[in-house]
Amino acid sequence: MKNITWFFLLLFSFLSTCVLAQPRVVRGVVKDISGPVAGASISEKGISTNGVVANDAGEFTINVRGTSNRLVVTAASHAPVEINLANFNLRERINISLQISNTTMDEVVVVGFGKKKRITNTGAVSSVTGAEIRTVPTSSVQNALQGKVPGFFATQRSGQPGRDASDFYIRGVSSLNDAGNRPLIVVDDIEYTYEQLSQINVNEIESISVLKDASTTAIYGIKGANGVLVVTTRRGTSGRPRFNLRTEVGMQAPVRTPNFLDSYGTAVLVNEAYRNDGLQPQFTDRDLELFKNGTDPYGHPNVDWYDAIMKPFSLQANTNLDISGGSQAIKYFISAGAFTQNGSVRNFSTNAEGVNSNYFYRRYNLRSNLDIQATRNLSLRLDMTTRFGDINEPFSSNVVGSIYDFSRIHPYSAPFLNPNGSYAYAFDTKNQMPTINAMLQTSGYRRQRRTDFNVLFGFTEKLDDITRGLSLQGRVAYAGVEQNTLNLFRGGYPPSYRYNPTGDTYALNTGVSTGGYTLTEYRTVGNTDTRDQRVNMQIYLNYDRTFGVHHFNSLLLWNQQGYRVDFSSGFPPKSGAAPQKSQGYSLKLGYDYKQKYLLDINGAYNGSDRFQAANRFGFFPAVGIGWNISQENFFKNNISIFKLVKLRASYGLVGSDVAPGDQYLYNQVYVQGEGYSFGQTNQGGGAVYEGSLGNSNVTWEKAKKLDIGLDLNSANDRLAITADYFHEKRYDQLVVRQDIPLMLGIGISPSNVAVVVNHGWDGQISYRDKVGQVQYTLGIVLSYAKNKVLYQAEAQPRYPWLAKTGQPINQPFGYNFIGFYSESDVNDAKVAKPSSAIPTQAGDLKYQDVNGDGIIDQNDITRIGHPNLPTTNIGVPLKLSYKNLDLNILFQGAFGYSLGLVGNAIEPFKSQFQPLHEQRWTPATAATAQFPRLTSNPTTVNSPGAYFSDFWLINAHYIRLKTVDIGYQIPQRMLPFKINNGRLYLSAYNLLTWSNISKKYQQDPEVSSNSAGDAYLNQRVINLGLQIGF
Amino acid sequence: MRTNSLVLGIIAFVGVVSLASCAKTYEPIPLGQQITLDLTFDPNDSLGRNAIRYLATLYQQALPDGHNRVGGNYLDAASDDAISSASGIPAVQQIATGAYTASQTNGDNVWGNYYAAIRNTNNFIVYINRVPLKELLPNGASAKAAYRSEARFLRARLYFELVKRYGGVPLIGNAIPQITDNVQLPRNTFAECIDYIVSECNDIRDSLRTQAMVGNADYGRVTRSAAMALKARTLLYAASPLFNGGNISTSPLTGYTSSDVNRWKLAADAAKDIINLGSYSLMPSFTSVFVTQEAPVGANTENIFWRQDGFNRNVENNNAPVGYVAAGGRGITSPTQNLVDAFPMSNGKPITDPTSGYDLSNPYNNRDPRLKATIFYNGSLWLNRQVETFDGGLDKPGGTIQQTKTGYYMRKFMGPFETVTTNPPAYYDVVHDWVYFRYAEVLLNYAEALNEFAGPDSEVNNVLVALRKRAGIVAGADNLYGLKASVSQEEMRQAIRSERRIELAFEEHRYWDIRRWKIADVVYNSAPLMGINIQKSTSGQIFYNRVPVLTTSFRNPQMYLYPIPYAEVNKNPNMQQNPMW
Repeated sequence: MKNITWFFLLLFSFLSTCVLAQPRVVRGVVKDISGPVAGASISEKGISTNGVVANDAGEFTINVRGTSNRLVVTAASHAPVEINLANFNLRERINISLQISNTTMDEVVVVGFGKKKRITNTGAVSSVTGAEIRTVPTSSVQNALQGKVPGFFATQRSGQPGRDASDFYIRGVSSLNDAGNRPLIVVDDIEYTYEQLSQINVNEIESISVLKDASTTAIYGIKGANGVLVVTTRRGTSGRPRFNLRTEVGMQAPVRTPNFLDSYGTAVLVNEAYRNDGLQPQFTDRDLELFKNGTDPYGHPNVDWYDAIMKPFSLQANTNLDISGGSQAIKYFISAGAFTQNGSVRNFSTNAEGVNSNYFYRRYNLRSNLDIQATRNLSLRLDMTTRFGDINEPFSSNVVGSIYDFSRIHPYSAPFLNPNGSYAYAFDTKNQMPTINAMLQTSGYRRQRRTDFNVLFGFTEKLDDITRGLSLQGRVAYAGVEQNTLNLFRGGYPPSYRYNPTGDTYALNTGVSTGGYTLTEYRTVGNTDTRDQRVNMQIYLNYDRTFGVHHFNSLLLWNQQGYRVDFSSGFPPKSGAAPQKSQGYSLKLGYDYKQKYLLDINGAYNGSDRFQAANRFGFFPAVGIGWNISQENFFKNNISIFKLVKLRASYGLVGSDVAPGDQYLYNQVYVQGEGYSFGQTNQGGGAVYEGSLGNSNVTWEKAKKLDIGLDLNSANDRLAITADYFHEKRYDQLVVRQDIPLMLGIGISPSNVAVVVNHGWDGQISYRDKVGQVQYTLGIVLSYAKNKVLYQAEAQPRYPWLAKTGQPINQPFGYNFIGFYSESDVNDAKVAKPSSAIPTQAGDLKYQDVNGDGIIDQNDITRIGHPNLPTTNIGVPLKLSYKNLDLNILFQGAFGYSLGLVGNAIEPFKSQFQPLHEQRWTPATAATAQFPRLTSNPTTVNSPGAYFSDFWLINAHYIRLKTVDIGYQIPQRMLPFKINNGRLYLSAYNLLTWSNISKKYQQDPEVSSNSAGDAYLNQRVINLGLQIGF
Repeated sequence: MRTNSLVLGIIAFVGVVSLASCAKTYEPIPLGQQITLDLTFDPNDSLGRNAIRYLATLYQQALPDGHNRVGGNYLDAASDDAISSASGIPAVQQIATGAYTASQTNGDNVWGNYYAAIRNTNNFIVYINRVPLKELLPNGASAKAAYRSEARFLRARLYFELVKRYGGVPLIGNAIPQITDNVQLPRNTFAECIDYIVSECNDIRDSLRTQAMVGNADYGRVTRSAAMALKARTLLYAASPLFNGGNISTSPLTGYTSSDVNRWKLAADAAKDIINLGSYSLMPSFTSVFVTQEAPVGANTENIFWRQDGFNRNVENNNAPVGYVAAGGRGITSPTQNLVDAFPMSNGKPITDPTSGYDLSNPYNNRDPRLKATIFYNGSLWLNRQVETFDGGLDKPGGTIQQTKTGYYMRKFMGPFETVTTNPPAYYDVVHDWVYFRYAEVLLNYAEALNEFAGPDSEVNNVLVALRKRAGIVAGADNLYGLKASVSQEEMRQAIRSERRIELAFEEHRYWDIRRWKIADVVYNSAPLMGINIQKSTSGQIFYNRVPVLTTSFRNPQMYLYPIPYAEVNKNPNMQQNPMW
């Protein structure tokens, strides 16, 4: 890490030979409320050909040639400004501040295969610029979008370095086919995977658009149904080389750390549970006394394994350098980045062996985007990017899970180390594993090394000599991934001993996990190599021309994509995913009349070889219309309060070709059967057996999407409102029919049967103003989506409340908690009891007997709570700037979801004992109990695994101070050398969290429901950064 | 300039077309999925190599291994013969205590697996016709016909297993339904199912190998006599009280709607056919029946059809007494006192007979030698020492480890490990094939059917004598091996049932017998199952106390048949559930 930084600094000293200062040179910087405005255009009034573009630091230099002595400054999303140079001292750098404008005629948004003026756009598109999320200290782009984009639903399930990318959906989910809800991701018009997206360096990103409705996604046709995330990368602008260096260092700490009971507290509860179960208590009063006073640390250990294994803070660091510039002929943007994120496990590795078994993530990004003007009409582009890095994790796998797991280790199982320094082991558990620290120190690592290489070659030929406004573009892109997983581990467990303090003796662990007296050597087995490649070709004709009041904008595209993946290990070689090829044509026809009446017709005819020839290609049309009421004279003349009122609507059909499974579903698959011997001869192996039945009719899923939107600006553009209502019907969904009798005798492939409707609304409001020298922007970003399954080929259940049809996707089902059984309930035959053979006891969870048959069984399971995916997402961004200081914060909240955890997370004797368990039911605390009576039996009604219920399921919500960015723009006079832009900033991620799940679970509110909640803890990051430009 | 653009456009167009028409660079079918049914049933392979393998795999699928089959226990541990030693509530205990419903089915619910196996037999039965198999049997007949008939036997046996559990079930025939086909089939009647199984057995009999035609490489295949034995057992079940007159409803799905004594005649004749073959005889030693391979590989003359499991020590490891630490043994099966009491004395007289010589204080002395061969009791010799099942003994040490709950362990099926030469004493691999049909059962089937049809004649008596003689029971002065000289049909019925219980213990017969005899209600509901509690005083004196070990329960009459799995009824409007489920 350090080396990389030095390398960059050296690089600067070679390159920073800038050419400056001509006569009549004007230098300046363009800023707005949130800092420099990169990409602002500065042109001399009267000589429109004399123009430059501000760099990332907002800085520009222009030779003033004419006589107007005025500059015109324009920038996307900002109101244009005219500067009279007479008002400035030109020997110094002039400061130009722009006002953010919520709408201008010129503002453009990136949509599929091009850009569109916001004013003439009829679809539902939201976008953020790369600059807005650049300082969020997280490795994955999608984590930084949460709460920023209406219609974007993200949940971060894990904080593991390199694997902390959020799951995200656009406008919620609408398919029962799990993978079929993932949005399409296109980066510079080339399809990326989730993993590839999370690896992109934010520094390379120019903008991110989220395409939500049929009008904007129809050109993707068979891949557009889940919405599209469109990312464009930064490109060079002509001018001298401009350097931009950003370096950051951050501290990570878990958002929420678990708090477990100590040995004494645990032993008391264990004894109580054993008594409840009619068993002999495990500990004597003397044991308890020794646990309490700690005088026998080896005979009666008391170890807080969380504190012993995990450190309170871990480091992350990020350095990026980019250089851009160019001439009329060649423009370049070159960027390099190094990101490193350490794990939160203490360092147990010994340096002598050089085996780093901790979690960590290292990533290096390089990108070169070149634009070459080959001839007057022909321009070429060559983009190359590579990302490589390692994700490391302990070979003994899930550390947080091990700490949570009561059957793995107890606080009194073993000392951290024996007095002679040898490893101890959990002698009182079933597997008698050595302690967690012993395993971490000796067992090696699993390291995933991944290299991505992407090349994009493109050309644009202007065909103005055929007809003005026509151009031909083409692209060939290659994306390759080489991934290797290296397992470095020892054959057995390390030697471990049980120390007996009374005799000062050591007994070797002879349990099932014995490792003998010595460590075995490291070895590597089971490594896998994966290679995949994606080749994409596109050719398209663009036509954009204005005839007076008529403006046409159209596109005709042919594209093809091929994808294959190989696993080298194993025979027969397994496919990580079925290879696939897709192909097709897309068409976009746009027309507007005076930017007042808008019409967009989009469509695609494309297909995928995941389906059989007859069902391969589909036609996906969509239409969008818009009306800028504010452009009408009657409106302009009468209602001045609104600067912009636009109504828009779109309707269309889009598809999703994501078919579950790693096979072509139309193919009948065959599997290998087991062997059988006749005589002494085994005659089985190799025989082919019928596998799941193929479905020759399988085809893409379809979605009919309606979107109605309103854009409204008021209060002199200070207030801007965008709102969209949407309704989507997703049908022909690929699910496995549940209503086929077993008499068929074989599994079946999914069929296109399920139907789901999804509807909701999203939008944002922003208001900006200025109070004295303080400029501020306040906003609200809202997203709401709710779905309902209309049909899913479910077998007719015995009772209506058991039906999953009619409920949202992934609706949880369970029992209804109605209190605890009392002594009298237990003896009352009229009170319904579980059908389990374990007798019900007072203090057990009492559930509602829904069908009234006096027995609590599967027939009493009903819909409880909500699915785990929030229905409502709220973001509240706030920006403030005062002189050189700026503050940028985002509150983010999620509502309308449920979270319930099982096993290691909460259940006694599976989880470590937690403070909640001390509030268990006892005869004395029956009135105030928060938890059922303790039992060591995992099959009773008190187990969330055996009887999931709304006692365990919380209707959850949370609010987070998601990101904070406080910056100080260092005045130029204070900057040394030729640095002309410096910003010092403090940023944070997941800084504060308020959630109602903490009343039951010691967990982050984003962990996935129905899990043990023992994924790597989500992290809070506090980050200090410096950005300099020269 | 204009021409330049046009040229460029044309080049681009040509480029696109040539790229688009490129050959695929990958396989249309993913790697690892490129095997097809044509590879298995190869129309060009006169050796039918893969087809024969397919059939071998079918055997694996269609013939479950009865050893510790139901959740780790013998099915018999769900009858009154044994209970499970496992902690918690094992599947067999749920069955014995009636803790199952249509939606939470019992551990022996085979519906889905057996229909999956039936589908695969159909695949073979249909597709084998495409294979130009040239192989001939020793008698010159086509081996292809024999292989096809083997698959039909497996299918018929699967149906029989379904029928005895569920009553009449849907018969699929040779159909191989595809994803778009309607499989919402109604149930066939009980009579139709029996007729189908019997006609299949008749049909395939002559194309199968005879016992004599089986060579070393074919050892373990379905033979003619296996088909005959399946037919005999099927007809015996069909003639039994539960189905032949004792139908638990008026529906033809659950049994015959009227009784007919001639069904016993059919069953007796079918058994007699096998006896008349002359190919089989009782082994001289009872214990060697289960650990000796059949001709031509071994010297076993009694086994007719079995699942090949080969040589292993699974039975010993799962069921042997727990005190033999070096050898291993998890003692999961705890035979009941009820079963022990069913064994007569070595003079053939039941222990309830005052003249039998039964000694309450020395209860295992002078018993039918099959007791020792079937059950470990306190004092049995095993691995060079006596089994200790008294409280605190090596094999009943107390504490939390799995150990006998009744004071007994199961001995049957194990190798001759009473004394071994290894030190420490250990097991070695012995044959643990699971025997489906053996000659002793055929004899008992014959005796039972004949007694029901014609009454207790000498032929019936001869069967019991033969079995008792082989077992080692003393002939006695009257040469009747403890049997009474002249008995009523009812007395003979009880004698046959008792003989059947002890001769065929743990072979998955008792569990079904108490059902088809329609006595399960009495057996499960009259009294708790008993075990023995043995106290050994410091002076070595031993005290035996009978103790209840499990209260069983049987919901009469619905539990005589299993419920059709609840989901199957939901998915299929034509599927009729069994009575009262």
